[in-house]
Amino acid sequence: MTDSTESPDLTRRGGLTRLKEGTYGGLFAACAAITLLTTAAIFVTLLSDAVVFFRSISIVEFLTGTNWSPNPAGGGQAFGIIPLLIGTLTVTITAAFISIPIGTLTAIYLSEYATPNARSILKPLLEILAGIPTVVYGYFALVYVTPALKATLFPEMSTFNALAASIMVGIMTIPMVSSISEDAMSAVPDELRQAGYGLGATKFEVSTGIVVPASISGIASSYILAVSRAIGETMIVVVAMGAQARMPEVQQALFGIPFVNPADVLLQSGMTITVAMVQITGGDLTGGTLPYNSMFALGLALFAVTLVMNVISDIIAQRYREEY
Amino acid sequence: MSNSTTDDSLITTEVQTDSNDGREAPAAGTAVAARDLDVFYGDEQAIDDVTMEIPEKRVTALIGPSGCGKSTFLRCINRMNDMIEICRVEGDVEFGGKNVYDPDVDPVALRRKIGMVFQKPNPFPKSIRDNVAYGLKIQDFDGDVDQRVEESLKGAALWDEVKDQLDSSGLELSGGQQQRLCIARAIAPDPEVILMDEPTSALDPVAASKIEDLIDDLAEEYTVIIVTHNMQQAARISDRTAVFLTGGELVEYDDTAKIFEDPEEQRVEDYITGKFG
Amino acid sequence: MATENPNADGFGEVSRVRGIAFEYLSFGASVFGLVALGVLLVYVAIDAFDLANASPEWLLTYFLTLVVPFIVFCLYSANDRDVTRRALVALGGGLVAVAVLFSAIEALLVPIPRLNWQLAYLFVVAAPVTAYLAYVGSGGRVGAVGFGLLGRLVGGAALGLAVGTLFLVFDSLVWFLAYTLGVLPAVGLYAFGRVRESPRARTAATPVGLVGLTAAVFLRDVIATYPSDLIIYLWTIAVPVAAAGALLVADRRGRVAAAAVGGVPLAAATAGGFLAAGAGLPAPTVLLAIALTGVPTAVYVSRVVDGGEGLAGLGLPLLLAAGAIAGALIVEALGVPAPNPWLDASFLSEAPSRTPSEAGLYPAIVGSVIIIAMVAVLSFALGVGTSVFLEEYTPGTGPLGTLTRILQVNIANLAAVPSVVYGLLGLGLFANLLGLGIGTAVTAALTLSLLILPITIISAQEAIRSVPDDLRRGSDAMGATRWQTTKNVVLPEAMPGILTGTILALGRAIGETAPLIMIGAATTVFRAPDSLFSRFSAMPMQIYTWAGFPQADFRYGVVAAGVITLLIILVGMNGTAILLRNRAERGS
Repeated sequence: MTDSTESPDLTRRGGLTRLKEGTYGGLFAACAAITLLTTAAIFVTLLSDAVVFFRSISIVEFLTGTNWSPNPAGGGQAFGIIPLLIGTLTVTITAAFISIPIGTLTAIYLSEYATPNARSILKPLLEILAGIPTVVYGYFALVYVTPALKATLFPEMSTFNALAASIMVGIMTIPMVSSISEDAMSAVPDELRQAGYGLGATKFEVSTGIVVPASISGIASSYILAVSRAIGETMIVVVAMGAQARMPEVQQALFGIPFVNPADVLLQSGMTITVAMVQITGGDLTGGTLPYNSMFALGLALFAVTLVMNVISDIIAQRYREEY
Repeated sequence: MSNSTTDDSLITTEVQTDSNDGREAPAAGTAVAARDLDVFYGDEQAIDDVTMEIPEKRVTALIGPSGCGKSTFLRCINRMNDMIEICRVEGDVEFGGKNVYDPDVDPVALRRKIGMVFQKPNPFPKSIRDNVAYGLKIQDFDGDVDQRVEESLKGAALWDEVKDQLDSSGLELSGGQQQRLCIARAIAPDPEVILMDEPTSALDPVAASKIEDLIDDLAEEYTVIIVTHNMQQAARISDRTAVFLTGGELVEYDDTAKIFEDPEEQRVEDYITGKFG
Repeated sequence: MATENPNADGFGEVSRVRGIAFEYLSFGASVFGLVALGVLLVYVAIDAFDLANASPEWLLTYFLTLVVPFIVFCLYSANDRDVTRRALVALGGGLVAVAVLFSAIEALLVPIPRLNWQLAYLFVVAAPVTAYLAYVGSGGRVGAVGFGLLGRLVGGAALGLAVGTLFLVFDSLVWFLAYTLGVLPAVGLYAFGRVRESPRARTAATPVGLVGLTAAVFLRDVIATYPSDLIIYLWTIAVPVAAAGALLVADRRGRVAAAAVGGVPLAAATAGGFLAAGAGLPAPTVLLAIALTGVPTAVYVSRVVDGGEGLAGLGLPLLLAAGAIAGALIVEALGVPAPNPWLDASFLSEAPSRTPSEAGLYPAIVGSVIIIAMVAVLSFALGVGTSVFLEEYTPGTGPLGTLTRILQVNIANLAAVPSVVYGLLGLGLFANLLGLGIGTAVTAALTLSLLILPITIISAQEAIRSVPDDLRRGSDAMGATRWQTTKNVVLPEAMPGILTGTILALGRAIGETAPLIMIGAATTVFRAPDSLFSRFSAMPMQIYTWAGFPQADFRYGVVAAGVITLLIILVGMNGTAILLRNRAERGS
């Protein structure tokens, strides 16, 4: 060292500068903490009222009861979730019959057949399907789809019915299936396709025989996500499906095998878990009553089911990301 | 390199030209010194027990094959390695007589005393003026910013080309101009040392030679430490050269002329004559 | 050898029929949802505007006065013979094709309800061709100028109305004091500091502003006399906006142009405000709308005139206005029967009613605007904060890295929680536990903010991640602290992406209904909310309520008008987001 060079001051800044840095870091961390707090708050809010509910109505009664009437005129409340599960399953399965095949085919088209130009137009347009407010879909189902179906295919259909609502839920969830499936298919390395072509396979054989199987875990995770979305869908069913918690009539077929006529479920009004929650809000919302608490029990069930489905979908999706 | 003898003689002549520039005479002080420096990435050793003293107001070149740790060494000096989570440093790096790895040293304060120029020109997407003034702004510079911007751009030999467009974006410049803008940005806060990490490797030969001329001028005022994979470049512009070889070992460190004309180590001779690396 | 070659007669052929059928099937599937949505949208538009009752003469009149001039404008801007030829073929051929096809279907198969071939032509041919031509036309300089001007006129008016709406809830007197005592001195000091290179003045700006704001809150009730609302808005919003516009122009075009750009809109706004006050209209809103429309428009016009290119485009708004007036005059003069649209001015400015023809959406629109404004502020601040923390402040490994991963998984899961569950959270936590009140605007805004927060965070993270690492390292090497790097380099680069994501998320929030029902939002309110704690309704809430009414006039008329209003606002928001993104992409 020559003496001419002063030793530079490299020590940590004191006071104001560090405080400023720390404050910003702390603020951002606090923002991030809010997301964790939200999850915790959802848990606590749902659980605390649900626990109160289950003190009056046992879990077994809740899960196996076949009658749902939280605010009956004449008395005799009943909180059985089975009719709601039937309604939710009806909507979910019917919607899946629309969104899964159409979404998968869309994904195959976008990933394998579409020109880059067509893809760049179609993809954002498909996202619009998921961006339309669900209350608008519900209105479409009630005012346009139901009358159209009634006039053409099902004259015996009632004004509020599960079918029209399910069709709209299905259309709304198409982009969920198509975009995640397409991501998975696009992630399939081109060498696999080349290998197929090298063996003399046609484009159709490569698409369905190589690309789809190779991306199956991504496709499966998209299905689960779409179904989970359909389970939690509220406004479409509230507006178009009506609010009658019904057990479908069980008929006896040949040899006494019990069966349910799908028309009984699809063409009639029904009630899903979400509709049941919305219906209760017509009453007292300040808390303390049994119907109020039952909302939270239903919410807890809904939250648990969708959470589990998301986690499963995530685990499956992780697998396909690791493959390549 | 196909023909080692031709290359060898070429380098030799250029070193002789360089040694005529009159920066030889007074014995310089030490700007940066490394003592028993080891750097690990996870379990892998990137720098192996390096000790060297880098003179002030000289150009010191760090050369060696890829992966030899020369860039890692450069980034130890201003602690840019802190950004890499798996990186672990043992030993001392002294800057102005202070070990920069002392617990009371603030890496941010350290970097304000040491400028750095990267391989790929990385001007900020701001105006030319704001780019050069960036270091002044973050240090709350309390003087005539415009004057300092002008001086720095002149120092980076860019002023004449951009003086009429100081408010246009730095991204509109050519690659070579962008790199000189980055040099102007680095010298604006008046650092003591400038680190250059292969500053010409992303540029065309004409732009690269402008930067080389500039580096020569910069050494009048600053200590320049430059990593390069181009041996002719090291021979042309540096006063001292350090040769790193695989494993992060500092094999030889001496006056540039000595390294290129008469290296002590056979491995260094093999490397600079292109027999390996 | 050659004679033994089994392929001597060629290689044979592998059937592609299955493959081609599959390609068409998959293409059909891709557009199925879009076509279904398109048909529904056509019907809801027909209902909202009562087009089923529009006579062919009425349609023809407006087609000739409005649509045809617009198409000619676009073709002129595109200035491409090929495009012109194709457009004419599509419009002409489409006319014949739709007429024949439609009549054939009606005659042979089934009558199509509430559609005639003229309307079918309008929606199936004219609308797509016009949209395509607008797209092509905007590529030309003239078209770009025309649409730019139109966008500023519409956007400015919308912004003015929205700001006017916000002042229904926020206390204009506090704002007046806060602006005069806090904002103005702080901005003045900061500007002084910039011009005179005095860091001290710049540093002082923030504390001075804060002191002023605090003083405003305390003085609110101490001061007895205030200027009228009109003067307050003139002083606190119109004047600064005009000054900002003038400053923007002053740099390049000198004093006279600057005075014109600032002064003309300001004078127009003032005059408009006082005239509106005389006419009994809401004067402050008129003032704000004119000021916020006029200044950006004036700046834009001045810039276009300066550039000297595409001046003809400035005529587009005039062309459209003239077309609309001419159409109205012709319809009036010839006595052509006109439709009676549900979606009209009174629908947007009246309160709901039991009578379909008197029903309006005004209180619900106000409610939506207020909630969305609060959600925008909250979710933007929280979203940016969280994403900066996750992307810039946490390492990928170590215990903190684990925390980051937990946060990330948690955010992904929150994004998939059904909205009705967020409603329960709002009801249980905000409304009942924290006592913010059932069905109040504050409760709704907090609930919706949490609902869209995961979406905002995820898109903001993507935007931040797309900032090249080179820039961060460059800034770090200059000795910038983490916050300085974030503030000076990362956020400015990522901002367009963050804003795009936030606006798209807000689009989701504005249409959400289920959480509003759960927190007990009013199904119908007859007066616009006047404080953050008053009961409110929102557009989707009102649509939900009306959809439940049994009368056909509600179902097919009033609700359709509400749906179209909501969708137009959504399209406007998403369009802004996409424009923002495109501009950012072009910039970099």
